[in-house]
Amino acid sequence: MAEEKYPINIWINEERYEKLKAVGLANMCEEMLAGLKVLRVYANDAQKDKILKVFPTAKFDSATTKSIELLPREVKDKMFDMVIEKKSIDIMEEFLSKY
Amino acid sequence: MAEIGHGGKEIVERIMDPAQAKEKIKGLKEIPIRSQIANEVIGIAYGFFSPLEGFMGKADLDGICKNMHLANGVLWSIPILFDLSDAEISDYGIKVGDSVVLTYQGNPMALFEIEEIYEYDKKTICQAVYGTTDDKHPGCARTYAYKDKFIAGKITLVNKPIINPPYDPYFIPPLEMRKRFKEKGWVRVVAHQTRNVPHTGHEWLMKGAWLQTYGELPIDKPLVGVLVNAIIGEKRKGDYIDEAIILTQDELRKSGYFGDHNHLTSLTFWDMRYAGPKEAIFHAILRTNLGLTHHMFGRDHAGVGTYYGPYDAHILLEQHKNELSITPVYSMNWLYCPHCGEVTSEGLCNHKNEWQKFSGTVIRSIILDGVKPPRLIFRPEVFDLVMECAEKYGFGSPFVTDEYLQNRIPVFTIPPLA
Repeated sequence: MAEEKYPINIWINEERYEKLKAVGLANMCEEMLAGLKVLRVYANDAQKDKILKVFPTAKFDSATTKSIELLPREVKDKMFDMVIEKKSIDIMEEFLSKY
Repeated sequence: MAEIGHGGKEIVERIMDPAQAKEKIKGLKEIPIRSQIANEVIGIAYGFFSPLEGFMGKADLDGICKNMHLANGVLWSIPILFDLSDAEISDYGIKVGDSVVLTYQGNPMALFEIEEIYEYDKKTICQAVYGTTDDKHPGCARTYAYKDKFIAGKITLVNKPIINPPYDPYFIPPLEMRKRFKEKGWVRVVAHQTRNVPHTGHEWLMKGAWLQTYGELPIDKPLVGVLVNAIIGEKRKGDYIDEAIILTQDELRKSGYFGDHNHLTSLTFWDMRYAGPKEAIFHAILRTNLGLTHHMFGRDHAGVGTYYGPYDAHILLEQHKNELSITPVYSMNWLYCPHCGEVTSEGLCNHKNEWQKFSGTVIRSIILDGVKPPRLIFRPEVFDLVMECAEKYGFGSPFVTDEYLQNRIPVFTIPPLA
């Protein structure tokens, strides 16, 4: 059985979209809620648990979207910066190794 | 003409003339109260809780627990209780027949005429009101936190609260509210209960309820209004700050998504019990007293966790609708359909596989990231105001933080008695 993956929604404004285009990741954006662009980075089960523990304001939205929400803004900024740096959305293991 | 409230009783404000008040409370023992009790004193004194004239006695509490009615037979779902510990009763030396002064923020607030001192099993209250005795339920937790004894008696405000900016225009007690409705020429008014900053899903809940309420009325002049009645009470970390809630709700009117002819924003002081269906009955009573004719109830009204089914409130309201002088308006969820290119009702649109449902948590996540959502989802004026409130009132955050809890502007102040 495939491992369950839980998205973290990084909301994309124009400035971020330009950065994604520059590293060839603009096509990774999806549209959610009336065209608002979102980039999804994923956590596995263990990573989800660690995120909820390390960042107590975060919440797993089990009812509607099955995503990890309400991470502090600066944490998501760092995740986005790492996506740009690595030119990949597969960043969670390395990102969480710092916590 | 008498203004009749819930239970068929005239709404009477229990507020003493200031000149008389000072004399009346002279020499009386003073008992400081916490914010929940101060909120309820206001609820009683201004008639939000009519026909209650004070904190409940054992017969009323018993009636609520056994069959959801007061001792006089009037429908009532949530106990309004005043508690003290045995030590406090002893230290204050109070007994039945005494009158005491309730103080808040160090100043006299209300006269309390003690009629009864009694005990009641808290688990029985929890089971009856919340349908559970689980201390993780916030209503049960609040009940278990009551001290040893309950004190019953009539309340009379001796000192009116000063409602602080920016809340001041929104405190409209029942008798004043009814005047406003008459001035506006509204013959029907539907309540929108909220503790949220509105996204367009909320906006359409109001618009849908307005259409449902309008029904067969003639349309040549505005006859129906929406009253946003924000519940202002105890805050938890992560909630929207109160200033953002009340100001953004009103912004929908100011920015033209509604207008003066069909929309009014107000607040009620109340610490949510999250009693689901029982709280829905309580909200219906509260809004009856405010003079509303209709009340919108959505999915899982005033619920928490998985304690209640999504439509339990609707079922209970239907069972007791003959005892309520307010018509429930049941609302389906609104969502965004990319195929339709609009916000629509789940009862209308059939592009089910394409639906993009509103999630309060996701919207909060977008706001937290500081990214402005499309106007079909979140009105730009509302977004800008949320950000402004974060800077002006929220110490940089639109959500409640420890700093906000410690340093926020009090919603109301009890001044020294002049």
